[in-house]
Amino acid sequence: MSKSFDLLIDGMIDALRAHVLPKSGDDFARGQVFSVIFALNGLKLAADWKAGPLQEEVRLQDTAFFEVRRLAAKMQHPPIPATPRMEAGLADPVRLETLRDEGDRQLGELLFWATGEGALAADRDTAKEIERALRGFIREQLKVEIGITAKSMLHQIATGEEQRQ
Amino acid sequence: MQPIKRSDENAHAAAGRLPGSVVDDDIMQSALAVHLGRKFGNEVEICSFARKSSGFSWITYSFVARSPSMADRKLILRIGPPNGLFAPYSVLPQVYALQSMPGTRVPVPGLVTFDQNGAEIGFPFFICEHVEGDVPAPWAGSQLDEGHRRGIAGQFIAILGELHKVDWKETPLAILNGAGNERGEVGAIAAWRASLARPTARYYPLLDWGGRWLKDNCPVPPRRTVVHGDYRIGNFLEDDRKITAILDWELTHLGDPHEDLAWALMPTFNAGSRKFYGVVERDEVIELYQKASGIAVSRKSLAFYEAYALYQAAAIQMCAVRAFEVDRFNDMRMAVMATQMASIVRAFDRALEAVA
Repeated sequence: MSKSFDLLIDGMIDALRAHVLPKSGDDFARGQVFSVIFALNGLKLAADWKAGPLQEEVRLQDTAFFEVRRLAAKMQHPPIPATPRMEAGLADPVRLETLRDEGDRQLGELLFWATGEGALAADRDTAKEIERALRGFIREQLKVEIGITAKSMLHQIATGEEQRQ
Repeated sequence: MQPIKRSDENAHAAAGRLPGSVVDDDIMQSALAVHLGRKFGNEVEICSFARKSSGFSWITYSFVARSPSMADRKLILRIGPPNGLFAPYSVLPQVYALQSMPGTRVPVPGLVTFDQNGAEIGFPFFICEHVEGDVPAPWAGSQLDEGHRRGIAGQFIAILGELHKVDWKETPLAILNGAGNERGEVGAIAAWRASLARPTARYYPLLDWGGRWLKDNCPVPPRRTVVHGDYRIGNFLEDDRKITAILDWELTHLGDPHEDLAWALMPTFNAGSRKFYGVVERDEVIELYQKASGIAVSRKSLAFYEAYALYQAAAIQMCAVRAFEVDRFNDMRMAVMATQMASIVRAFDRALEAVA
């Protein structure tokens, strides 16, 4: 199981045990909470993140690396990972999440490099183009994440009061 | 409800990485009676003691202090919990602000007592007078009629202008000026960058890179003023269509006045609207503010601080992510805040483009 999924399930179980159970005086309500905890423990064993969005993010990162390598061919640049980093059919969320997180750090290094004095002095136009390309691909990656994010419930979360949307 | 640590609490605490206690309201009430008894020089009974909020940061209580030697006093207690989002806490910026505003046109609750070390209560705290009024939630703003909101918005902007006119050099807030070796506003960006650099599972390249851009391109303030730091709809009390107190001074510092204006204009704090409080157009806000403060607003500085506002919002969310993932607090609200990161980073990137 991927680390972030594991943390989320553990957090849900602990929150129910620490905050909800002690304040649930009703036997039926307590039974419901215990059942949810049991179901969450089951999910921990059987479920994980969907591979699709993670694969899409890694693919976008790989496209970014490919493009930067092409643009920066005549420049001295930091290491750029060889692509594709995913072997065909990779669907293991643990591996995909690790690749995505490593890719984010490498994209960050390249963005700092492209906007740094060295790259700008070497070839300003190309450096600017690389910056634009990197930011564009990172934005596309954010869109993938936004697409799998539930709508914010700021009011309900902050106050505990239900609000009709 | 106060978050408590997850099952690996002991291991973390033993490693010295986590505060060792949680807030117990009963113990708090007893300790408060002892503290106020000493302060007022007579036995004090604490009545109607109640938590006012279940916030992510400072915890607020209301209570009545009853003593044979005085009339009942309705008071507010605020404590900085050891496991809040921004722990460890200092009460001093709030205390300096509450000490500095009387005599100005910025309404604040009267300060009664404070203790930075929190020896008697166990946490840093301060106590202030209760002020009549309600806190309008930003997301509920649209339930009030437009005339009501326009009236409040006008007062709110006028008070911001008054705040930025305060001559802080003659007040307790002067101590926040520091040694003067670094521009305070640049130091504040560096502090958020340091906070974001703490290890978490996720790294957001645009956030890291954008933080450095902000630090390198921070404009020179038109005037160094008191900055409230969290000046927005939701951080004041209003009673009968009048603002009775500006609250939540925990992020007060000295810096660029555009910072407060940009923060107040964030759509998040205006029911998602680009209009201030959902009713006042941006240009009108700027005009009203300029008139009230005597400060000419720079569009470029305002755009910079709008990007900075989103950067701060992202950094605050990352504090929540860290609290959940690294410090293992079992408050699911923090886990949920983490899910909003992608939206905030995208908005921050757009705001950066608008400045550049």
